[in-house]
Amino acid sequence: MLLPTIFLNVLSQETKNVKVAWAVVFRSNPIVLNESTYLLGHGSAIVFKTLKFYISNIQLMQNGVTVFVEPSSFHLVDVSDTTTQIIYLRPISSIGFDRIQFSLGVDSTTSVSGAMSGDLDPTKGMYWAWQSGYINFKMEGICATCSAPNNEIEYHLGGYQDPFNALQVIELATTDNSSIEIDLDLNELFNRVDMTQQQHIMSPCANAVALSKQIARSFSIR
Amino acid sequence: MNRFAIVLLCLLLCAFVVSESLFTVPLHFPKPVYDLSKNVLTQEKILLGRILFYEPALSKSNTISCESCHSPFSAFTHVDHKLSHGIHDSIGSRNSPALMNLAWQKSFMWDGAINNLDMQALAPISHPAEMGSSINAAIERLNAMAKYRKLYYDAYGDSTATGERTLKAISQFLVTLVSANAKYDKVMRGEVVFTEKEARGYYLFIRKCASCHAEPLFTTGNIENNGLRGDLELKDIGRMKVTSNPNDSLKFKVPSLRNVEYSYPYMHDGRFEKLSEVLNHYSSGIQQSKTLAVELQSGIELTANEKVDIISFLLTLSDKEFVFNPNFRPPK
Repeated sequence: MLLPTIFLNVLSQETKNVKVAWAVVFRSNPIVLNESTYLLGHGSAIVFKTLKFYISNIQLMQNGVTVFVEPSSFHLVDVSDTTTQIIYLRPISSIGFDRIQFSLGVDSTTSVSGAMSGDLDPTKGMYWAWQSGYINFKMEGICATCSAPNNEIEYHLGGYQDPFNALQVIELATTDNSSIEIDLDLNELFNRVDMTQQQHIMSPCANAVALSKQIARSFSIR
Repeated sequence: MNRFAIVLLCLLLCAFVVSESLFTVPLHFPKPVYDLSKNVLTQEKILLGRILFYEPALSKSNTISCESCHSPFSAFTHVDHKLSHGIHDSIGSRNSPALMNLAWQKSFMWDGAINNLDMQALAPISHPAEMGSSINAAIERLNAMAKYRKLYYDAYGDSTATGERTLKAISQFLVTLVSANAKYDKVMRGEVVFTEKEARGYYLFIRKCASCHAEPLFTTGNIENNGLRGDLELKDIGRMKVTSNPNDSLKFKVPSLRNVEYSYPYMHDGRFEKLSEVLNHYSSGIQQSKTLAVELQSGIELTANEKVDIISFLLTLSDKEFVFNPNFRPPK
């Protein structure tokens, strides 16, 4: 009769989902695709058309110890689809934590493991056709003041092999144990990166890694 | 033996025959590289993949299927075509490779740009000079075709085509393309013997060629510079295009030599039409460069007679059963 007792104990413990909400903002205002024009610090203006990225391997930590690892943790966050911007973590019991860790991108093991379903399905537009690998972060837009052909800027950032492994691990401190709101602030990003220097990155390379690092630094808890 | 035992034996035998007909690792082959546990073969999925392989709806113009450049009768390459052809008579930049023993292949494409068999089909589907489409457009078309509803349902218990299902079904068919029944294989299994000339060629091959074209797959799968004269027109830098690393300049994947009789022309750009031209290249045509394969730094010494012997051995790698296997052709 031991097993059912344990089972009941587990059930009777309070379980609570942890809500994680992602937003891509510009000075704390959510980005509106295709309509709003955003003025960048150094005088250029930009209209964003596509903004999507992979968040993976989400973990919660308490005093430096991992207390929860989300199983099959791959999420494609897409600014054009609000349903992708909220994730519920489902720990088996209530836990306390003071940090959240996640990766921006898809890890190398998954990148070499063949066709995947769900958010990792290659029909999601986040897989390179001509060279294997996921696009970790995709940002496309029109920058009227940029010299690019048709004023189009395109950043398809990815790469899973050294020396151009673009995956970024991000850790943020949090005080709320039921809801975590995470912002990616593009204003902050463009204050650090002069995008007029390189308006297209479309393959794994040193610049893709460098820009991925700057994006990783632009995540914060709201 | 009682009736029960006989029935049991029959059942076991049937199970064995069925599983064997889907995929067997030939006795003298290593363990496959492709992880079959992540894509367990079934008759229904192989059939779906086989039909997809011959499906022109995967191309933008509805005219080009995988078979267009990978014909079963030439060990799944495009015989007599130096460079691959695609939609609207466009011409690609590389020779389409023969397809066989893909379950043992570490990387795909001449420059190894593709890391898993599942992902290979994405490249030709979206290449503007090949099928000129995209995986999304292709899937949308398949979902609009009534015949695929049943095929996907039978394979996956759900009638919707997805990227994953489609790519994995194609992999299933490709994995079944095993060539291991050439005269060479029969010699290795002790069923027949080489002629004197073939045997001489075999021993020469082992000494002079097998460090890159290693038995039993007849390739190491490595990516090397084999000393070809630079192509001024295509200016193909090979592997360096993928890695941006100058140490990878002019490196291309070592191809398997199985069925080499059927898969001409040779090299990544199809520059050689005859095996004798290939051997002449190795004996007297090697171009020195920083990235040249170590094995080729002083060329391969071969007399005219030795070349003839090696070619007669290479012809023992022709697998007629593979080339004419009705299971590899479009289902009737």
